Amino acid sequence: MKRKIRMTIGSAALAGTILLLTAAGAQQRGAVVSSRPTAYDATREKVLQGTVVSYTEDSSRPPMGAHVTVQTASGTVDVHLGPASYLRSNHFSLAAGESVRLVGVSVQTKGGNVFLARMAQHGTQAIAVRSPNGFLLANSPARALLQSERAPNAQQRKPR
Amino acid sequence: MSARKKRLALLVWVTLALFAAACGGGSESNPGPGPGPTPPTAKFSNASFSGQYAFSMSGTELCAGAGSFFGRAGTFMADGHGNITDGLEDVNICTGVQTLQFTSGTYSIGSDGRGALNLTNSSGTTTYSIALSSATQGFIAQTDVDITASGSFQRQNTGAFTNAAIAGGYSFDFKGVDVAGTTVNPASIIGRFDADGGGGVANGLFDSNIAGTLSGQQAFATDSFCRIDANSDGITFGRGTARIAGQDFVFYVVDATRVKFVGTSFPSAFVGDAFAQQNIAFNTASVDGSFAFVIAGSGSSGSIGTAGRFTADGGGGITNVVIDENNNGSITQLPNGSVTGTYTVDNNGFGGGTLTWTDSNKGTFSFIFYLISSTEAVLQETDSQIISDGTFSAQTTSSISAAALAGDYVFGWSGVSTGQEDFVGQLTFTSSGSFSGLLDFNEFTSGKQFFDVPISGSLALNGDGTQANTFTVNLQTTPPDAFSFTVYVVDQDTLLLVGVDTNRVIAGMTIRQP
Repeated sequence: MKRKIRMTIGSAALAGTILLLTAAGAQQRGAVVSSRPTAYDATREKVLQGTVVSYTEDSSRPPMGAHVTVQTASGTVDVHLGPASYLRSNHFSLAAGESVRLVGVSVQTKGGNVFLARMAQHGTQAIAVRSPNGFLLANSPARALLQSERAPNAQQRKPR
Repeated sequence: MSARKKRLALLVWVTLALFAAACGGGSESNPGPGPGPTPPTAKFSNASFSGQYAFSMSGTELCAGAGSFFGRAGTFMADGHGNITDGLEDVNICTGVQTLQFTSGTYSIGSDGRGALNLTNSSGTTTYSIALSSATQGFIAQTDVDITASGSFQRQNTGAFTNAAIAGGYSFDFKGVDVAGTTVNPASIIGRFDADGGGGVANGLFDSNIAGTLSGQQAFATDSFCRIDANSDGITFGRGTARIAGQDFVFYVVDATRVKFVGTSFPSAFVGDAFAQQNIAFNTASVDGSFAFVIAGSGSSGSIGTAGRFTADGGGGITNVVIDENNNGSITQLPNGSVTGTYTVDNNGFGGGTLTWTDSNKGTFSFIFYLISSTEAVLQETDSQIISDGTFSAQTTSSISAAALAGDYVFGWSGVSTGQEDFVGQLTFTSSGSFSGLLDFNEFTSGKQFFDVPISGSLALNGDGTQANTFTVNLQTTPPDAFSFTVYVVDQDTLLLVGVDTNRVIAGMTIRQP
């Protein structure tokens, strides 16, 4: 059985009708929604510099993952770095007493404010842990490899 | 169960299986000794699993030393005696897209409907745990080392392996990753189209959310299609190819009401299902009553899962919003302050719409939906840099009691702790809300595949049962572990849930067995 809506729309007029209906739909979706305070708003990015107080790979504080506590000129800041495994695989580590420079955004969680780091740097080590719009780069990095870089993975021949 | 419930029963699972996953060790837990639950009455055996089943799943594979999203969809033929005799699948893995034929396989089904499945193709053998909700469908989780995934399977209607059978409106939900240059972005695409019964599509509309960038409602490109393979793959396996919502796909037909997709626009990857739409012109009055929902995906903090319920008044108003959101370990529960909400349904009759509510303390939550019917929809969150999708379903209008929920259920849950983890199992509720059962799960890394883990716990209903309910699951692992969930009841056959622990994010569903 044909949909009632299709019976009322002639094929000749379909393309134009779709465009009009789509535009109407888009208008309904056009309302700007303010991000909640838990969101990474790139327009609020700032640089944080200080000294590492402590580094934990599997913090009990949310968000889950690696956290570093940094002493800055304006106080102590809890920084989220994402999965520790990603930091390890990129040979990035932090230890108490080291100077660190971070770029990111401070967000609210149920446990208090947390600085979501996008970039972390200490000494000659630097790592990007989030994309410019704030998403963890630990997700599927192999899909971004060049074709030539994928070849060794293809040769692993594990069962699919 | 009714036809609607059968379709709903496994609707959510495919769309929940992706979280922002990363390679890492799971929590230290192993199945320990101890008395298992009393086995339920034998309802299932190898003979229950017979015929041709379509499946789809998504998960995480180890690739170049890190976790990587992958998807698979396909079909296998079970002979009712423990053997897989034929089949075909398409996989989108970190090295590309492949089509692989199953040359053999085995399975075993226990009396509780849980079972093990091995599928062999030219690359080797992959292993799965499954849980049958009936002889026609169930949950599936891959249990290989360094590859974990979860999804669902349904018995195919081979009579629907024609273009003519795939006709009418379909709503879809695809979840995955969109690769732009060197950036891998979490992505969700939901929408709808009309299949013309000849391999063409019309009236295609979609909304994508790629790394928080919203497309707004878009029309399909003019070269879109959805057609069954003209060769034996189409005739034998119900396989086809499609270009919809700006992506290329392979699909496998379950029947005229459901089609399972895996994306082939490598290196991007999507997995999801399309569902036949109710044959009406939808309007604002189409969304009327109470609804429960569950969605999952990624946010800027990491993985996110949300479940809840709301009431739509049929005129654009939303009330009685209750939710639990687990944003990578940070829990938000509504109502916190006062909550107001509205919804719209597009005036084109195709079932698209918006849903928004604002808590005076916690801010605004906004969504896009496409109705499958007046009781079901695919749902995508569109606020706060969150890429999360799933479904909402009409809630029972009756109160729910523990006695009404007594009986046997299977479940499929997916989540993240320090790495992705996928769960399938079976449990039996008593009339007091206590339960016992058995669980298999895969925590991705070597040595983290667990089988036949005894579980027990309780479901404590709140009020009439249609609000947020407390569900505690104790795992007899070594050391013991426990998960805390909030459950939202759709009806006495279907429970939606989200974990509210701060050290893991889990979402999924639990559905009644016969």
